[in-house]
Amino acid sequence: MAYIIKRTGSRVITFIVVISLIFFLARSTGTDPFERYLSEDPRIPLAQIQRLRARFGLDKPLYLQYFDFIKSTLQGEFGYSLYYKRPVFDIVMERLPWTLFLLSISIILSTIVSFVVGVYFAWKRGTRTDILGTNFCMFIRSTPHFWLGMILLLVFAYYYPIFPLYGARTPGITYANTFEYIKDILWHATLPLTTLLLRQVGMYVLYMRNSTVEVLGEDYMVTAKAKGVPAWSLMFHHAARNAMLPMVTVTAMRFGFMVNGAILTETVFSYPGTGRLIYQAITNDDFFLLQGTFFITSITVLAANLIADIICGMLDPRIKI
Amino acid sequence: MTEKKPAVSRTRMRLNQLIKGAREFAAIYRSSTPGLVGLAILMFLVLTAVFAPYISPYDPYTRVDRPLRPPSDKYLLGTNDIGQDIFSELIYGTRVSLTIGFLAALFTVVIGTLVGVVSGFMGGSVDEVLMRFTDVIMILPSIPLLILLMAIFGRQSYLIMILAISITGWTGTARMVRSSTMSIKERTYVEASKAIGAGEGHIILKHVLPNVSPLIIATMIYQVAGAMMSEAGLSFLGLGDPGHKSWGMVLHYAQTSGGWYANQGYPAWWWIIPPGLLIAFTVASLVLIGQTMEEIINPRLRMR
Repeated sequence: MAYIIKRTGSRVITFIVVISLIFFLARSTGTDPFERYLSEDPRIPLAQIQRLRARFGLDKPLYLQYFDFIKSTLQGEFGYSLYYKRPVFDIVMERLPWTLFLLSISIILSTIVSFVVGVYFAWKRGTRTDILGTNFCMFIRSTPHFWLGMILLLVFAYYYPIFPLYGARTPGITYANTFEYIKDILWHATLPLTTLLLRQVGMYVLYMRNSTVEVLGEDYMVTAKAKGVPAWSLMFHHAARNAMLPMVTVTAMRFGFMVNGAILTETVFSYPGTGRLIYQAITNDDFFLLQGTFFITSITVLAANLIADIICGMLDPRIKI
Repeated sequence: MTEKKPAVSRTRMRLNQLIKGAREFAAIYRSSTPGLVGLAILMFLVLTAVFAPYISPYDPYTRVDRPLRPPSDKYLLGTNDIGQDIFSELIYGTRVSLTIGFLAALFTVVIGTLVGVVSGFMGGSVDEVLMRFTDVIMILPSIPLLILLMAIFGRQSYLIMILAISITGWTGTARMVRSSTMSIKERTYVEASKAIGAGEGHIILKHVLPNVSPLIIATMIYQVAGAMMSEAGLSFLGLGDPGHKSWGMVLHYAQTSGGWYANQGYPAWWWIIPPGLLIAFTVASLVLIGQTMEEIINPRLRMR
């Protein structure tokens, strides 16, 4: 319990540090919205700009502004999007489920696939399968997410139009039943999911393979073999279990990387998640939307990270400090 | 006068030692096939970048023919949506991508080493604060943070991009340098030099840094790969410098324009396959070089 409280506390501090950092950076480089968007317009008198500034608290001293900013951020007020003319929070919340959907499914699938394939390569180490497989993983790991997505689109949506070119569902369609709806969503999600999956499997198969190979050299593996433990049980019960620990630790650190992948992948497939929202915020020069999306994404990552940490602590008693 | 003599010979001695070390390093490196393959690819790309104006058949910023011409003798990789030669674009892009990658990695490693050495050497509350801060940046997703930083600094400049990548990328290096600084600090020869009255500055410069530097060089190679990936991602999202087209930006233009509207359905294959392959081969070659260097520094890895 003390462990959980300590971890939660450190995540909250992390978030406060991030808010503060962004606040001071943004203020010090003059992203005052009235300065940025209104002062160049000669039709707006200076007095009115001053009045607006006072109304939004921008005439207060910096430290008071800072406390206001932290208070409103913690209350979930991230301001208005300059492009959509709607509260940032509402926009992000509409998009978040799509990203979470992509991320959670790809995390689960990639963990299972890399586990099995990694152990298999370790078992077959030194053979042609292993060498070809690890080289392929190396190559996949070196390609950018977005390029992988573009190639999948080119082949499976353009040359062989099996999957749709963009979006998360067919526009303007009414679904006969829930089953149809799910089918349509899965059909649209196949290529983005494949992109994320390929890229992650490319990374984690190598981790899993190397840590299994390391475990295979341990004395207890020789003992187990000498006892006559069957091969599959040797691999999965003795080797993989111990090789998994480093994988689990990596999982906690990988959410940030996953979000990066989601942003690029969603952009390629025009998928309506938060990643694409960030892209649109850049193209529309929408600073508050960018900032809000960043904060909400960070909170999600920190929360996911916290959960992973707690699970790690349960699985591996050595981590508990 | 007589006191200066040993100082000179000591420098020479050190130089000889350095040369000897480099020779040994090269001898081991030569025996590693993956390392040589990686080095060959990288050398080829560096030469391409250096001699870009002599190699590229056209100017990548002017239109030379009709848009979206397929590859031919005249245009090796065809033309893009506004009729620029893609082959020339990629040759000049090598320059931009490699420059951003190497400079960003250099700054990243400098920041990481500073934080790592200070944190590992000072220990106590300084270490605690610095490592907490490192954790903060490490956990956060880097691309949103990079985008936000670039929006704050004012974007569209590749110098800003280098700065932003180095500000967010130093955490791994810092952690590694910190842990090896801590182990070096405890070694007996450091104790001995402390006992004869060496100051902290002397210990850091003469004992800690020389011992950490091989590790730092290997890390830097990986950082170049990481920085190039970040650059490609940011450029793809449209945050690149329009005056300096990189590989990622070629893909950005492919994604945002042309093909979608010209009734093509999707950008032409000659426009999207080559830049991605270039990124992949560069990153893979850097990883191969990094792995080989790591194996030389840490012989335990060679057993695998």
